[in-house]
Amino acid sequence: MDEKILRRLVIRAFHMNTLDFGDKASLDNGKLVINNQFLKPIIDADPLVQDITVNIIKPGDYDREINTIMDILPISTKVLGKMGEGITHTLTGVYVMLTGADENGKQMAEFGSSEGNLREQLFLNRAGTPSDKDIILHVDVKLLGDQIYDRKMPNAAFRACDLFIQHYRDILKKMDGRDATESHEFFDKVRLGKPRVLIIKQIAGQGAMYDNQLFAHEPSGFAGGRSIIDMGNVPMILSPNEYRDGALRSMT
Amino acid sequence: MGIGPSTKETSLHHFRDPLLDVVSNDLDVDLMGVIVVGTPQDNSDKYFVGERAAVWAETMRADGVILSVDGWGNSHVDYANTIEQIGNRGIPVVGISFVGTQASFVVTNKYMDTIVDINKSTEGIETEVVGENNMDRIDARKALAFLKLKMRKNG
Repeated sequence: MDEKILRRLVIRAFHMNTLDFGDKASLDNGKLVINNQFLKPIIDADPLVQDITVNIIKPGDYDREINTIMDILPISTKVLGKMGEGITHTLTGVYVMLTGADENGKQMAEFGSSEGNLREQLFLNRAGTPSDKDIILHVDVKLLGDQIYDRKMPNAAFRACDLFIQHYRDILKKMDGRDATESHEFFDKVRLGKPRVLIIKQIAGQGAMYDNQLFAHEPSGFAGGRSIIDMGNVPMILSPNEYRDGALRSMT
Repeated sequence: MGIGPSTKETSLHHFRDPLLDVVSNDLDVDLMGVIVVGTPQDNSDKYFVGERAAVWAETMRADGVILSVDGWGNSHVDYANTIEQIGNRGIPVVGISFVGTQASFVVTNKYMDTIVDINKSTEGIETEVVGENNMDRIDARKALAFLKLKMRKNG
């Protein structure tokens, strides 16, 4: 079959078997150690962020009350090249679950919300949710109360979570590719002579928790992203590899 | 009305999107790319962005389009319009959306004859359980199979 290769993206996965708190953040040999000392500067930097709590949720340990689930995201980072090409590192076995509410318990959600007992609020083993064997890195952000509920509220939580994750992305970036658990190659390609199919995804674009960002600095990141609202909700096109490399950040 | 917990696609979903995976790995089709289009508030804006997406599809010479949405209710106004704009241009189009028992389309048109319903809950409702009513690989494969049939008919 005639194919024309346009570009190549390599996603290397580093599988984590354990996640613990420790004095020094590290990522080594299947063990991720997180350090809560990173949190204070993030809280101090934004008056809207009152507190950040990080919990480690082991498989099966879901019987706990949570605020609404704002997003579930991988810890991924660009190692070489631009989004959609080059090399990306990502963690498997551990996924971030961001939850958030303000001091009065007002949930960061738009059309229905998912606060309650985690066991009843999260459906595992979907493409967009952790598996029943994954460890959940739960980041809960408490926001300033009595504020007008607009985009600045959830965005403060997304930003705070992003800053926290960036510490681990920076460590992940330096990992030796030979130590990856898995390595996958993806190609943007033209299949000459085959019917041309276009995927269109309609995404949210109206306000707080009804928003999406594109083209952040890091895969599934927040910093540097552009909101579809600010782009007038007009169609933006991504190559399959850009999309696959985390160009779209969900904020619903 | 917009996107509820059980239908919303998380950033992790986008990172390992079953629809992208299924279409890009099918040797019978040439995946051009992924357009993302927003869901503005005003009706005139809804029509505007949907038409722009359809013009993109036409000028790219797309032979077929799969249009996926993770919201419903008012979002279906945008959705139905975009499908109609694509259909009016003679381009086969297949939809993927939550319908269930709760989210019957508020508006409809003749091009909406192949919509894959992503509902997975027994009651057919927005359960507020994150991930429950998400599109999965089977939904994506159904949509692509429908589209292949439609494209073949289109000759």
